[in-house]
Amino acid sequence: MLVFTRRRDEAIMIGDGIEVRVLRVGRDGVRLGIVAPPEVRVHRREIYDQIRAANQSALVKPDKLESVAARLKKAQ
Amino acid sequence: MTQPAAASAPVEAEITVSETVTFPNGIPGFESCRRWVVLAAEGHTPLRRLHAVDGAEASFLALDPRQVLEGYRCELSDADRARIGATDTKTPLLWLALVNVEASGAVSINLRAPIVINPKTMMGQQVLPHDCLYPLRHVLAEAEAEDQ
Repeated sequence: MLVFTRRRDEAIMIGDGIEVRVLRVGRDGVRLGIVAPPEVRVHRREIYDQIRAANQSALVKPDKLESVAARLKKAQ
Repeated sequence: MTQPAAASAPVEAEITVSETVTFPNGIPGFESCRRWVVLAAEGHTPLRRLHAVDGAEASFLALDPRQVLEGYRCELSDADRARIGATDTKTPLLWLALVNVEASGAVSINLRAPIVINPKTMMGQQVLPHDCLYPLRHVLAEAEAEDQ
């Protein structure tokens, strides 16, 4: 892992188009500003992890279809 | 590639590879799955199936979140729209929320991070909204009682 020391208002560049700037440094938090091209998605890591876990648990075997459809019909 | 990767899946008459939807980034957890097909779950409308035709073997059940929750709204950012080639806000989009059959038997649906597909470009993505009030787990059917 690359490690940099940056002060307030200093930034790093990732590739040509991504800038990560330190906006504020608090006692136990750092506020970052990120500039990235539109095709690059920027997310808090924990949000991404949550969605990934939700997707992985939503995997279904094709043979589940009948039972799920029946359950949903009954629940309506 | 002309064959669906999931050889173990039952033969689906309605799979047509020309109608694959491209997800340039896959979806979280299935980043290698770039091409998907959306199938009507025959006889079980409005349920749909989302099936990966490359990358890892993956198959999901999905529903249009607007059919699950009246008034469901999800704002796409300009960047989200650009990613699926839907810069014209009038382009009708296909929305799918993934259904989860949980270990308990409960059936829930992920309204937080819907999948959106532009039928004009056949490009799709899973939207991860920063501020979204809808739950990751919206229960559609509770776990079955033991006598059932």
